[in-house]
Amino acid sequence: MNNLTDFSQPQRQSLPGIFVMFANTLQKSVRAFWPILLIWLVKFDSLDKLVFFGIVAGVVILIGIISYLQYHFFTFHIDNKNQEFVIQKGIINKTRITIQLHKIQQVNINQSIIQRLVGVYKLEIDTAGSDKKEASISAISHDLATILKDRLIHHSQLENNDLIITNQEENAPTSLIKIGLSSLIKIGFTSNYVKSFALLFLFFSTIIENLRQLSDSTQINEDQVTNFLDKLPMLTSIAIVIFSIIGLVMAVNLVRTIVKYFNFTIQKSRQAIILTYGLITTKSTLLNPNKVQQLKITQNYFQKQFNVTTIEINQASSNLEKVKEKDKLQIPGCTAGERDAILTLLFGQLPIKEISYLPNWRKLAINTFFLMIVPILIVLFLNRKTEFVTWTDLSIYVSLFIVFSGLLLWFSYKNYRLSVSKDFIIKQNGAWDIENTIVEPNKIQAITTQQFFWQKATNIGSVTLSTAGGNINFTTGNYSEIKTLVNYWLYQLDTTNKNWM
Amino acid sequence: MTKFINENIEINELPNFEEVQLNPLQSKYFNVIAINLSLFNFLILILFFVFSYFKEDLFSNRVWMIMGIAISILISFSYPLAKLSFNNKGFAFRTHDAIYKEGLISETTTIIPFNRVQHVALHQGFISRKLGLASIELFTAGGSSSDIEIPGLQLEQAQKIKNLVSQKINPTLDTNETDPTAPVILRI
Repeated sequence: MNNLTDFSQPQRQSLPGIFVMFANTLQKSVRAFWPILLIWLVKFDSLDKLVFFGIVAGVVILIGIISYLQYHFFTFHIDNKNQEFVIQKGIINKTRITIQLHKIQQVNINQSIIQRLVGVYKLEIDTAGSDKKEASISAISHDLATILKDRLIHHSQLENNDLIITNQEENAPTSLIKIGLSSLIKIGFTSNYVKSFALLFLFFSTIIENLRQLSDSTQINEDQVTNFLDKLPMLTSIAIVIFSIIGLVMAVNLVRTIVKYFNFTIQKSRQAIILTYGLITTKSTLLNPNKVQQLKITQNYFQKQFNVTTIEINQASSNLEKVKEKDKLQIPGCTAGERDAILTLLFGQLPIKEISYLPNWRKLAINTFFLMIVPILIVLFLNRKTEFVTWTDLSIYVSLFIVFSGLLLWFSYKNYRLSVSKDFIIKQNGAWDIENTIVEPNKIQAITTQQFFWQKATNIGSVTLSTAGGNINFTTGNYSEIKTLVNYWLYQLDTTNKNWM
Repeated sequence: MTKFINENIEINELPNFEEVQLNPLQSKYFNVIAINLSLFNFLILILFFVFSYFKEDLFSNRVWMIMGIAISILISFSYPLAKLSFNNKGFAFRTHDAIYKEGLISETTTIIPFNRVQHVALHQGFISRKLGLASIELFTAGGSSSDIEIPGLQLEQAQKIKNLVSQKINPTLDTNETDPTAPVILRI
């Protein structure tokens, strides 16, 4: 084993790495200063050329020096004694990143255009949850990268050999659940109103905008439409507009749901669950029950009557800030029986709600204040200043708003609860679409309790449970109960031999 | 409470994370905070003076005076506030988890069990390095909101903590036999 492939000593990246870092830093600086650059470009003729090029040259040299220093201070090695992969970097602020070898899940070797130019590769280490940028080597030769990858993966798999062998014997996938067209139609009619409305709104506003730019002839069309509506009685025209919007939203919803989820099938093979769906392009996703971190069941009143529900599955994601689409799976339109089958498949048992914790009544009061009273006061104040509607009209709107938002607030308060049993934590929330988020205690990564100083007297507080598939939080609850729960969950985490993945 | 009795544990007898005596940060670390805060305040003062000198017409004299008074009040209050919030920070390492508490208005306590720590990082800022201080950051798979960074530790202490946590999260270090609790990563 020569010196190059012996990773026990700290070593630098390959020399062309300076160029890669230079390009990266340059790109970052340009991105940060583009408004100034733009102004300079516009005013290019009036600028002193000497000063301009002097500044540019100075910046380029500075970036060059920074890149060299970055290269110089960036080292990586495998600490065989502690079984860690270590990266040290930083010019002024030194950072030392250590990653347990057995925590490494994936090692990727990529190449960007800049890296292709100088013939180096990027090695990224994925440990589920950590920031990707923190554990990556941006310039490494392909041979070295492959050896390092083997070394890292080999270490992390040493103890899992038995598992891998037992997984070799493959069973033919057995079909488990198939979601019929009727369920999809039901779901299409009863969900995602807001999303489809926004889509529709966006679509029409762009089209109208484009048409306006094309010609003024649309002006006539618009007039024709308004004329037509003007001829009808007031209420009828409003009804026509509202019903056509509702009809369009539903149609869009229906088409979207069917195109996306047509022929949704869940199959089970020995080690994973396979989901296949789609009308035009068939998607196939593998789902590993061990990777499931959170499960969300959503149902509204209509869907309850139709006996359909949507299940969303969050898997462990390596980048939580933008949870990747592939880590979020939706199973639309399950019946109660299918839902239970999926839950049993994923959890091995049906989640039960043993003890429920309700929020304090102050939650309702605070929400009412901020979401109902404050907006009304703002509108009243504005109307006093500008009188944009008459006061009688305003009182009608305000009372409508009070009824509507009051109902929403009341139901979202009524539905808000945290249920805890030995094997499950279920948070329920939502006013119309009622969501139930299910987490197993052993999937918790960290627990945060939070209390404002004025809540101390009333013994109110919040708790947030972080998992690799997103957080769940319960706010304005009894703080002593929350603390008891936290102690219980910590106890479970310390004593459980179940892993989170 | 007899709610969890079927599991044969009394929930009220579980170790209570609230009763743990938290360690304060190194008092030297307040210097770092004070220097950073002073730099920031200085910058704001300079901005204020530059604007009030070169762009005098922007506001009336009255408004300038009010702004000046407000800024000086804010600056003079920022130090006691920083001190209070510094005093409020605390950390503890138990057998199975790390606890970090902070916040003046909103008090948050974050607890990370060691068997959920992905990796540990030791940071040293420019001023901290001069004072021999370091900070420890614990990363979990729960995203950046649940990571904890404990600042203001003696460098040796920080290194000790780092080794301790590394050892806790990698029990194969001491014993060559595979630990049954060591994470098993399943691959598809």
